[in-house]
Order: sequence, then structure tokens, then C-alpha cells
Amino acid sequence: MMNRGGYFQSALGGRMVASLTGLGLVGFVIFHMLGNLQIFEGGDALNGYASFLREMPILLWAARLGLLAVAVFHIATTVRLALRNRRARPVAYVVHQYRSASLASRTMALSGGLLLFFIVFHLLHLTAGLVDPSIPNRLDAQGHLDVYGKVIHAFQNPLYVAVYFAGQLVLGLHLSHAVSGSLQTLGLEHAALNRLFKTAGPAVAVLVVLGNLSIILAVFLGLIHT
Amino acid sequence: MKFTLKIWRQQGPNEKGGLATYEADEIGPDMSFLEMLDGVNQRLILAGEEPVAFEHDCREGICGSCSLVIDGVPHGPDRGITTCQLYMRRFSDGVTITIEPWRARAFPVIKDLVVDRSALDRVMRAGGYISVNTGGAVDGNAQLIGKEQAETAMDAASCIGCGACVAACKNASAMLFVAAKVSHLASLPQGKPERARRVTAMIEAMDDEGFGSCGNLYECEAVCPKSISVRFIATLNREYLRAGIVESGVPADPETPHAESD
Ligand code: HEM
Ligand code: FES
Repeated sequence: MMNRGGYFQSALGGRMVASLTGLGLVGFVIFHMLGNLQIFEGGDALNGYASFLREMPILLWAARLGLLAVAVFHIATTVRLALRNRRARPVAYVVHQYRSASLASRTMALSGGLLLFFIVFHLLHLTAGLVDPSIPNRLDAQGHLDVYGKVIHAFQNPLYVAVYFAGQLVLGLHLSHAVSGSLQTLGLEHAALNRLFKTAGPAVAVLVVLGNLSIILAVFLGLIHT
Repeated sequence: MKFTLKIWRQQGPNEKGGLATYEADEIGPDMSFLEMLDGVNQRLILAGEEPVAFEHDCREGICGSCSLVIDGVPHGPDRGITTCQLYMRRFSDGVTITIEPWRARAFPVIKDLVVDRSALDRVMRAGGYISVNTGGAVDGNAQLIGKEQAETAMDAASCIGCGACVAACKNASAMLFVAAKVSHLASLPQGKPERARRVTAMIEAMDDEGFGSCGNLYECEAVCPKSISVRFIATLNREYLRAGIVESGVPADPETPHAESD
């Protein structure tokens, strides 16, 4: 009965996989935001950082593939759980009131789905450069790929600013419930620490979103430019 | 007082149901919600109509039989009580009140507001017990238990198995119920020997009955008539992790000693 396969096949085992992979993604999102903030140190810093990552192609691709695997696991598990949960109440209430559940907690599947759209868009736009052909793809004075120039170009356009703004709000919504929820799912609970665990989600969400938005706004308002 | 009731009527498990409207007149403010329904039924019977089926037994908040979703909240607008402990003075005169059954795949409607909650019994049968040999009763205080431990076990054991947690949960999950049972037994020495097998079996049984999984929305705690804390869900999660990691080598006996035949 307690074979390992069965353990993760259970809905609770699935939730633990979703939480662990989700927290892995949270780690990446924080790291990514901190990396991005180097834009405030100027073009050389950001481009140097980007080329530093590219100088280790094996590590970079290992990290990318690892991240992709984690994301695929996260999405596959959560979609399975969400479908299961939908089946658990075939007849809806005529009148239903929530007493304590936050908006974020009730819309995890929606925010997750929108997030997937945003992530794909973001990769096509800034990593692959396929969305906006006018994005410059050149080298800077040091011979590094000019990531700085790309970012500046992208966020001078109000259309992309709007898309990224929306993407960040969805990310914030997803994270604000996800982090605290994951801690509970993994059994982390203690009378002395519960306040901390409860604030962890919203705090991480606000930090990540504000960090990323500050870049977009700084470019759009012309505070940083080429 | 006077109320307009919108009550879910459904002839049988496979019939189509719907809301029917009734007027409840001459209701005293000190009548309980169930007494108010008794009055409505009395009139229906006198008029030669079919009375509304709803469940009740102790009418003092201890048996867990009563089970109505009132205006979208299991057990109605007050916290920490069952429907039988709800009084009509809680409502403004003249309002419309919507009454529905618990809704979950694992709780099929039998008739009107009565649902079949035997799924919870089957989850209990999977592991919600301790195995003891029969014989002379053990002395009451033969095994001393610390105050904290005893209080924790009692808090969890206050679950009356009404199923409001399932009814309120967005995912129709029975996690708070299972959490209360698992935490109750796991916090006492008598429950320790079987703890790994218990938690695995009960989680598996919960899945088999078609309950959803916990998304940590905490609606269950907010409607629980015994205000059982969601911290027990964290305890359950720890028990489950422990069973998977620490005791994964322990052979789990699928033949539960208390398996009954249906
Ligand atoms: C930056 C990307 C993402 C991060 C950091 C992240 C993080 C998390 C975390 C930590 C959880 C909590 C796990 C739990 O409580 O079970 C979660 C839940 C979830 N995520 Fe994500 N996620 C991300 C992207 C996505 C994407 C792209 C999707 C879907 C396409 C998605 C769908 C979901 C769903 C459906 C849930 C569970 C909702 C529920 O509670 O029922 N997530 N996420
Ligand atoms: S009838 Fe027993 S708890 Fe309400």
C-alpha cells in the first residue's frame, strides 16, 4: 500500500510535489529579479552579468533545462490537481459565500494559466526576440551582447510596458498565496512562526513585483536610458 | 417574524433538483433554525404536501447530524456552531434565506437537504482507530499524558464529523476532518504504533471517495462548528511526510484488522 509510486499518486503527495516545484520556481523568480536589478548599475554591469552567465554554456543550459523540468512538473501536477478538484464538486452551490479565502487563493489556477502565457510571451519577446523585430540585437563596446539596449528599447514602448505590468500583477497574485500555502502543505507550522509564514507569501510577492516593476517604470519614465 | 425560504428540493439521488420558495410565518425569534423548519414542514403536511427532508438528531451541537448550507455558508451565519444551535433572531425580519444541502461528489444527495456522508465513515474505517487486544480495561491513569499533549488531542478530537469542512471547501476536500482524526491519534501514545499506516490509509481512502485536495484556503476552519484549527492540517501533512520518509521501509498491512464487509 505504501509504495513510493502510490505516495506521490495521492492528491496530498501531488500537492507536495506542486509545493516543492513551486518553491523552486519562486527561488528562480527572486534570483532573476535580483539579476535584473543590475540594470541600475548601468549597461556594462547588466551586459557583463548576462555574458558571465553565457560564458558557462554547460551550466547555463543545465540550469535552463533544470528550470524547464521543474516548471513542467509544476504545471503537470497542478493541472492534474485542479482537474481533480473540479470533479470533487459536480453540482455547484446556487448561493456560495467565502468567509476567509483570499482572492489570490481562489484564483490559483487562473493566475497560473495566465502566468504561463506571460512566461511564453516573455521568452519569445526578450530571450528569442521573435515578438518585436525592431528590438536591437547587437554587441556593446566590450563585445558583450547588449541586453541593456534590448531592455531599454522594449520598455520605451507603452504596449510592452502594459503587458509586463499585467504579467507582474498576475505573478504577484500567484505568489502571494503560493508561498504561504506551500509552507503549510509541507507541514511547516509552529505557534511562534505562523505569523512569519503567513506574511512570507505576500512579502515575497511584493518584493518580486516591485523589483521588476521598478525596472520597467525607470525605463519608461526615462530615468535610465542608453 | 416572517421569512421567505428558498429550499433545495430533490426527490431522490438521481432526480433533478431545484430551489422551491416557501413562506415561513409566525416564527419566534427564539426558535432554532431547525424548529423553524419543523414549523414549515407542519404546514406542508397539513396542506397535503411532501415535507422537506433534513437531517438532525441531538439538536444540541454534539452529534453532527444537522447539515444545511444557509445563504452560502455551512451551518449559517454564526461561527463555531451547528445549524441546530442557530436561532432565528440572528436574521432580520422579512429576509429571504436560501437553504441547500452539502455539495460534494463524495456526499450524494439522498433527498432534499439530506446527503449521504458515509464516505467519512469509510475514511475512518481505513485507519481512524487504534488496535487493542480485548481484555480487562486498563486503569484510567495507568499511562500519564502531558497537559499540552492532552489538550492538543482534545482539540482535535472535538470534531463531530459533520462534514461542514467539505461543504465549505472550494475543492470539496475532507482534509480538516482527516487532519483532526490523524492529529488526535498521533498526539497520544496509544496512537503512535499505527501512525504511519493510519495516515497513508486515510489519505488514500479520502482520494478513493472522490474528495478534492487542500489548497490552503482555510474556509474549513472558518465554518467548523468546533473551530478546529487548520494547524492540524499541517500536522497531517507532517505525518504523511513522515510516513513516506521515515517509515517507508515499514511494511504497511493492507488488510486492516477492522475491515468490515459492506
Ligand atoms: C514563476 C512561475 C511560478 C511560480 C513561482 C509558481 C509557484 C507556485 C507555488 C509555490 C504554488 C503552491 C503549491 C501548492 O500550494 O500546492 C503554486 C500553485 C499552483 N500553480 Fe504555480 N507557479 C508558477 C507558475 C505556474 C504556471 C505557469 C502555472 C500553470 C500553467 C501554475 C499553476 C499553478 C496551480 C494551478 C497551482 C495550484 C493551485 C491550487 O492551489 O489549486 N503555476 N505555484
Ligand atoms: S442535530 Fe446534532 S449537531 Fe445539530
